[in-house]
Amino acid sequence: MTEATPAVEIRHLVKDFKTSFKRQPLRAVDDVSIRIMPGEVYGLIGPNGSGKSTTMKALLGLVAPTSGECSIFGKDSLKVDSRNEVGFLPENPYFYKHLSGEETLKFYGKLCGIKGAKLRDRVKELLELVDLEGASHRRIGGYSKGMLQRIGLAQALIQEPQLVILDEPTAGVDPVGSREIRDLIFKLRERGITVFLCSHLLEQVQEVCDHVGIIFRGKMVKEGRLEDLIAIEDQTELVMKDASPELVAEIEALIAKDGTAEHVRTGKPRTTLERLFLRETRSREETN
Amino acid sequence: MNPLINMLSHASRIGVIARHAFTQLVRMKVFYFLAFFAVILIGSNFFDLPQHEGPESAGINILRSIKSWSLGAMTLFSVVLSIVATALLLPKDVEDRTLYTILAKPVPRIDYLAGKLIGVLLLVFVSLALMDVLMTGILHLRTEMVLADQMAVAEARNWPAQDVALLKSDILAQGPTASLQGAVFSVFLRATIIASMAMLISTFSSSTLFTTIISFLIYFVGHFQADARAAYFTHEAGTGDGFWLRGVALLISLVLPDFQLFNVIDAVIEGQVLPLLILGKLTLIGLFYFVFYVIASWLVFARKEF
Repeated sequence: MTEATPAVEIRHLVKDFKTSFKRQPLRAVDDVSIRIMPGEVYGLIGPNGSGKSTTMKALLGLVAPTSGECSIFGKDSLKVDSRNEVGFLPENPYFYKHLSGEETLKFYGKLCGIKGAKLRDRVKELLELVDLEGASHRRIGGYSKGMLQRIGLAQALIQEPQLVILDEPTAGVDPVGSREIRDLIFKLRERGITVFLCSHLLEQVQEVCDHVGIIFRGKMVKEGRLEDLIAIEDQTELVMKDASPELVAEIEALIAKDGTAEHVRTGKPRTTLERLFLRETRSREETN
Repeated sequence: MNPLINMLSHASRIGVIARHAFTQLVRMKVFYFLAFFAVILIGSNFFDLPQHEGPESAGINILRSIKSWSLGAMTLFSVVLSIVATALLLPKDVEDRTLYTILAKPVPRIDYLAGKLIGVLLLVFVSLALMDVLMTGILHLRTEMVLADQMAVAEARNWPAQDVALLKSDILAQGPTASLQGAVFSVFLRATIIASMAMLISTFSSSTLFTTIISFLIYFVGHFQADARAAYFTHEAGTGDGFWLRGVALLISLVLPDFQLFNVIDAVIEGQVLPLLILGKLTLIGLFYFVFYVIASWLVFARKEF
């Protein structure tokens, strides 16, 4: 059986930027390789300025790699036709303020060659999906941050792409809006759409992603299946219900004798993605 | 892909972006300037300069004044609109990151540039057409009034029919003629060149202000293109000042259009006929610079990183 074409394939990507004051170019991305298979939800995490957005822009052809290659469903990402299957939501997007939500979606739909009844139906469907039917005729200029992110996600999905790239989809959005976007990502995963996202909200990444890459100072420092990355093999997890703080302090000594505490599950404890991220980035910061 | 389908798909995307750019500018309330134009037009009716000709020329100065003020205002508005609108659209899209979402769709960069430029030109064209309608209407009414007055004078003085016909044709030549429409079209052609040039500058400039200032400067320098061309052909090639002068003169002659060619508009204000050959030549020059600047813009923009 032949292996499916990866939705995203980034091979040894290097991106240098010329700087005005220094002769030495700034290396924003240093030998990064990523492979995302169709249907996966991949989270790229890293501190500010670590090269996340540059990696995404290289994948979209918005910046040209200094070396290395990027492809989308096997097509060179510098070629326009590779973007037929991609939807992109940039960080803090601002759409044309003079257009309404519906007009915005129609504009992007027409750019993708969708017309007539098909476009009308698609716009209606997406407005329902992102829960903006009530605000479809309002000018974008009056939208809240969360609404902007949702209309941004809708425009990314207008041509029914098989890959959606989200750059900080919940940046600046309140917890409720943030949860709504998370739920939308779940819906995309259910539909089999590949999602490539970068975010600072590690808990959300942990919730929605099945593969994760940690990028630090332009280098990929850890990558793999989330389940594998956060499992700690040499520890045992004790999960209890209704345990008081005092009981927790003496738990190991008392648990065998004390029958009041309910032993719910014993298993392998896992660190959080947040802890893993901090450990990986701090240890490298100390060594540099 | 079939080349015809490919071409149609380019044209469709360019059309979508052009319509959008037009709507964007219209919703920025740019048409408010038409009110100023109307005021200028009405004001020009009262600029009855003292005349030294005989009574048979009475009123003709007002017709010239209406044309002169109208075409002057059209030139001003079209140049300002072309430069400011073009200089505004590209940096705004980059700043707001809307460009990312557009270029992340299957939109070639040439389509984006051409669409934006055509959107601006569409706005300039509609603006000029509206101003033209106002000018032609007022000029028609005023010409009829002057004609009636002059015919009454001629009749009272019992002028020969031949002289009356000549007077009538002189007055009508100062009215809304086909040459006047040609002059308005020349204003549009000049705006096309300026907008295309502003587009090229905005592809490598980092701000709207820079693009606007440089575009106005180039527009100004463009009026000396003919002098630069003359300097190139008359100066001796060699070293020193002569070498540099010839170099600069050559650069100006090749890159900038000769805006003095558009001075034919002044002749139309005087009531002269604008020959079709001249209008055809101006159209070809406008088309040439439009294509030249769009290709140059694309060459810069295709390599631009965001």
